[in-house]
Amino acid sequence: MKKILVVDDAAFMRLMLKGILSKNGYEIVGEAENGQEAVEKYRSLSPDLVTMDITMPIMEGVEAVRQIKKLDPNAKIIMCSAMGQQTMVVESLQAGAKDFIVKPFQEERVLESIRKTLGA
Amino acid sequence: MQKYDGATELLNSAIESMQHVFSCPIQVGAPLLFSQTLIQSDVGVLVGIVGDLEGRLIIEGESRIFTHLSQSMFGMPLEGEMLHSFVGEMANMIAGNTSTLLANRGKRIDITPPTIMVGQMQMYGFNRGIKIAVELEAVGPVNTILLLQG
Repeated sequence: MKKILVVDDAAFMRLMLKGILSKNGYEIVGEAENGQEAVEKYRSLSPDLVTMDITMPIMEGVEAVRQIKKLDPNAKIIMCSAMGQQTMVVESLQAGAKDFIVKPFQEERVLESIRKTLGA
Repeated sequence: MQKYDGATELLNSAIESMQHVFSCPIQVGAPLLFSQTLIQSDVGVLVGIVGDLEGRLIIEGESRIFTHLSQSMFGMPLEGEMLHSFVGEMANMIAGNTSTLLANRGKRIDITPPTIMVGQMQMYGFNRGIKIAVELEAVGPVNTILLLQG
């Protein structure tokens, strides 16, 4: 079972994502509510994939992607943000994210992105 | 000082974003201008906006309306802390989609993480505000408010 780390400052959004992923056969190995916590949990939990919000306190998501990629250049990270403008998508992909999902999202869009990213 | 049409553009984009984020049809009321004090009655969420357009965006309403909205959008009638988290995320999605709409029109803004406000309170520290009542079909009314310094 593939292990996923869910990163979002909103408990509600973590609940939504955990529900979608759990019922589709993924293990939620951990969750984090800011970028700094995400980097620490990536180091300790070694997940197969991370879903990453952008607008978060303490450390925002794109910086967290950069730091995780320094720890593990092969890290698989999917951005999951309401900030869907082109510059934000490009900045995220340049930082090392594999895909970008815009909130509000459909369940199938999340699953498609995860399958594609884990299979790549 | 921000031009008035900048505030209008920001509010119009926020309303357009709400039409995208909410899964139900909405009806938008006339804008109401006010100054000096804003009184919140129950639950609200504030997102700061900086960049080419600036202000503080607030979505506020009754808890029971947001509970209905969580049921309508995600099939879960939320209450308590999870409801407050939902309200914050809802505002984050509205502000985030607003930033995307504005970016497509050549305006760049950044948004802060949402600040959730619970209970009756008065807010000061702004020069003027614009309030728009938004009726969510089969859910109820919420207020969209933009606070401005200029």
